[in-house]
Amino acid sequence: MGKAVFYHLDQDVATIEFNDPQAKVNVLTADVLRQFNAFVTQAQNDAKVKVLIIRSGKKDVFIAGADIKEIEGINTTDIGMRKAQYGQNIFNHLEDLNIPTVAVIDGVALGGGCELALACKYRIATFNEKVKIGLPEVNLGILPGFGGTYRLPHLLGITQALTIILGAKVVSGGDALKMGLIDRLLPQVNLDEGLCDFVNQIKDSAQRKALFHRRSKGLKSFMDNNPIGHVLVFEQAARNVRQKTKGFYPSPLKVLELMKETFMAPREKALELEAKAFGHLVVGDVCKNLIKVFYLTEHYRKWMPPQCADLTPRVIQKCGVLGAGVMGGGIAQILSYYDMNVRVKDINFDALAKGLQAAAKIFNQMVQRKKMKPSQATAKMLKIGTTLDYTGFADCDCVIEAVVENMEVKKKVFAQCSQNVAKDALLFTNTSALSVNEMAQAVNNPSRFMGFHFFNPVHRMPLVELITGKETSWQTIADALALVRRMGKTPILVKDSPGFLINRILLAYINEAGFLLQEGVPVSVIDQLMTDFGMPVGPLALSDEVGLDVGIKVLYILQQGLGERFKPAEIFVKVFERKLLGKKSGSGFYVHRTGGRSPNKVIESLCAIKPVAAQQYKELRDRLLLVMINEAARCLEDKIVDQPGTIDVGMILGTGFPPFHAGLLHYADQYGISNIIDALNFFKERLGVDRFTPADYLKNLHLQKTGFYSGKN
Amino acid sequence: MERIAIVAGLRTPFCKMGSAFKDMSAQELAAYSVRELLQRSGVDAKHIDEVIFGNVGQPSDAANIARVIAVLSGLPFTTPAFTVNRNCASGIESVVTAALKIQSGEAQFILAGGTESMSNYPFLFTRQLQDILSDLNRAKDFVSKLKAIVRLRPSYYAPRIGLQMGLTDPSCGLNMGQTAEVLAKEFGITRQEQDDFALLSHHKAAAARDILKEEMIPLIPSPKYKAAVESDNGVREQQTREALAKLKPIFDKYSGTVTAGNSSQVTDGAVAIFVMSESRAKQLNCKPLGYLKAFTVVGVEPARMGIGPAHAIPRVLKKAKMTLKDIQAIEINEAFAVQVLACLKAMESNQFAADFGYSGLLGNVDRALLNVNGGAIALGHPVGATGSRLILTMLKHMNRNQLSTGLVSLCIGGGQGAAVILER
Repeated sequence: MGKAVFYHLDQDVATIEFNDPQAKVNVLTADVLRQFNAFVTQAQNDAKVKVLIIRSGKKDVFIAGADIKEIEGINTTDIGMRKAQYGQNIFNHLEDLNIPTVAVIDGVALGGGCELALACKYRIATFNEKVKIGLPEVNLGILPGFGGTYRLPHLLGITQALTIILGAKVVSGGDALKMGLIDRLLPQVNLDEGLCDFVNQIKDSAQRKALFHRRSKGLKSFMDNNPIGHVLVFEQAARNVRQKTKGFYPSPLKVLELMKETFMAPREKALELEAKAFGHLVVGDVCKNLIKVFYLTEHYRKWMPPQCADLTPRVIQKCGVLGAGVMGGGIAQILSYYDMNVRVKDINFDALAKGLQAAAKIFNQMVQRKKMKPSQATAKMLKIGTTLDYTGFADCDCVIEAVVENMEVKKKVFAQCSQNVAKDALLFTNTSALSVNEMAQAVNNPSRFMGFHFFNPVHRMPLVELITGKETSWQTIADALALVRRMGKTPILVKDSPGFLINRILLAYINEAGFLLQEGVPVSVIDQLMTDFGMPVGPLALSDEVGLDVGIKVLYILQQGLGERFKPAEIFVKVFERKLLGKKSGSGFYVHRTGGRSPNKVIESLCAIKPVAAQQYKELRDRLLLVMINEAARCLEDKIVDQPGTIDVGMILGTGFPPFHAGLLHYADQYGISNIIDALNFFKERLGVDRFTPADYLKNLHLQKTGFYSGKN
Repeated sequence: MERIAIVAGLRTPFCKMGSAFKDMSAQELAAYSVRELLQRSGVDAKHIDEVIFGNVGQPSDAANIARVIAVLSGLPFTTPAFTVNRNCASGIESVVTAALKIQSGEAQFILAGGTESMSNYPFLFTRQLQDILSDLNRAKDFVSKLKAIVRLRPSYYAPRIGLQMGLTDPSCGLNMGQTAEVLAKEFGITRQEQDDFALLSHHKAAAARDILKEEMIPLIPSPKYKAAVESDNGVREQQTREALAKLKPIFDKYSGTVTAGNSSQVTDGAVAIFVMSESRAKQLNCKPLGYLKAFTVVGVEPARMGIGPAHAIPRVLKKAKMTLKDIQAIEINEAFAVQVLACLKAMESNQFAADFGYSGLLGNVDRALLNVNGGAIALGHPVGATGSRLILTMLKHMNRNQLSTGLVSLCIGGGQGAAVILER
């Protein structure tokens, strides 16, 4: 490996610069650390050096963190521990220098990069918006292993440190200054001059003391500075962690255990324990799976089909929204939040008012959480105009339709809309299951038309399913991808077919839950099967959230388009007839009251509920999972999506499929293709139903002795 | 010199103080009208050379409110803006200033208008309380804090009401209603006459409800976004002479005649208007509503501010080389019924014309041509916005009825009168 770290001396100021010419960003590989260490030694041995500055030659990046490939490759606890210790020793070396050391953060300083900065005596950052400082290791199922769990609480106090490490929080320069994580913010423009002034100040020990006397105040200080406070802080943090991770993620618990023990301990002891904990976590399945998810989400964050690579996406300035319901209001909100002008059209003022209320509610929450000032919220709301006709649509760059899920209505709306917008305006439908190709017939210019499937609630759900019709142009796809990304969300490309991707897989699963229910499995057991697996909510609770009317409608569409395997479970039809739709009607599979829910006795009495022995749980859960995997395989077989990663990202971001399983198809690979086929065949024979017939795609994988992910697993 | 075209205009409904728009700021109201005017006209905002808005009670959170409006309505940051204040004629002043700027070659297309949120006029601290609070703020130790606190007296907490102060003339000490009473006594105008005039205003406005909607945007007011306001909410379809007669005089308890019923309403609202040079309008393919033919402002005695129009009208007619007979429609703002009636009486008087050198210009005002769609008594008088509203209402009326000349006039608190002649 080439030279990635550079050293130079200017009078009495030494600078170590990270600037790997081979890479876009700086990462701390073992080799980079070794080079860095050599220069630390050089500065140490040079009596002329009065100040050591550490900075980066990369634009908008200080150091992005440790090398994830290296972390992924660690396969024994021992190696993990030694890797951590290697870095720890180098940062100790840095910390122990007798001269002042300054980290200059003009961009991303995450993980190991942040830990390096923490080992310096001073940290300054610039007003660059790209400055992001934090320790997000917990997101990868590990913990900061280069001294971060020890140094951060000493700098910020235990309360703040726990919040950052457990929450994998990444803070802006301004916030970092407020909490004392950095000492100064300097303008990027005159950085060198500002830095020079700063260096002169810290060279003089009297000035140094006066300028950088750190003191915390108030309740936080009380909690941070006495043993009772510590107990309370850890207690509270442990409660939060248990609630958030439900025990599925070992690393936050490990962080708590570790920091409780180390933050009063001497450095040597603390770091030894940290390295041990790191080694323990880094070989775990959860860590390996979360790294897979990291790669996946990184990939889809930027991914472009090659046909779009040379196209310049249209910059959307104004967007029309048709229909001001829950989705329409949510869509209007997110568009205006990202500084687009919005025109919302509906058929009466009451509907428009509801849409505005929905948008205003989200902005108000942001104001309450201090993410935004009231005047900013007013300005954003003013970007949303409402209308009963097409006034203001003529110059819209795009229109997103979110009217009722009814093909005839949607077609009518699009036919009308086509007459009122520019020829080159993009037309998107937020349908969750209706055929995009059929709808395209109603549109003037089908090449500019595609599906744009947001998930509910719009401002929270990070996924948008983009559905391409037969005539959708690559330019339209490029425009849509850019729009989704501008809204901070991840797009996946799906070919038009019944239920698209996410709802097709999800409805197969919910329907299977229906079959289990009519076979007598209690409602709460069915949901528990899946929450125990890590799903955020069980299938029947999910149905209650969305409404059975919506689910059953999609099931009929799927049945019509894909065959009898999607025939709605009898029990669903019965429940639907009784109008027990879910939350919206007060009761569904559960009776919903303020403060809680309980399984609906009416429904359970319809299906001869009997208790289930715990030994049966695995088999029942397998049915729910396998029916999804089998359907996902069919999606790949039908070329609805081009690769398994799309399904995994979609399921994680769109349905909350547990990331620690690395996604549905990663899970399938771990389960083993031949085991899956055996189990499917077993269910098929036992239940005598077709829906468990293994997909050809699965059989092929089996023949080729590979997994969904090219046999790597 | 090139003619000044009024190309398009739009306003919010006018809503009584403390009603539907009470939580909306003046800048927000104006931004709605600007945004929707841009949408409806289809004119690209980048063509606007400058923004001029009239506003009287300038909100402390929107210094130079015109600029705030420009930015809030999504105009390019490069478009400059400034605010004008000629009290009740601020909404005329913005249009007139736009005309002068265009005629001087400084601009070709100006977004003008007026806005007022009288619901949001502040309550102010007394001077004593202000002093104590600022001392308290500066006090560094407990003793000096305590010293400041012990100086507090209950009477210091009585708020000074911004609206009341704004409606009081600081030179003669009379509030606007009291100046109206002065005219009532001087011109011998009875309570009955005033109430009849007020009743007619409501009836005309009620009959014109649908017509007036043409100049309005339905607005779903923030921050609750409950229900749309589709028209002015001060108009009383059911207003009766008996109900009006029951009201007590406010400004002179015993011998007064001016009541809440025969005065203009205190109101929130905003108006936006496109003012262009005739050639620019052609270039941008805009069909003007009409043109600004002449305008004038005169000063009168502050205690008789309501008589302003009787002086402004003959002067603007003279400027335009016209007489009252040439005018096909006339709007005199109904600050007070008595004040309009006093102006009419003065204009009909030969003595008045002779005294001030207006002979030949004035005469009987045909009541059928006056305030045909009702006035501020029914619609309300958001002070900064009214002037623009009168111009817009008049031009729409002229277009509906194929009239070629119209005259708009207002009395102005502080003792002025303004008048504008419009043609098409």
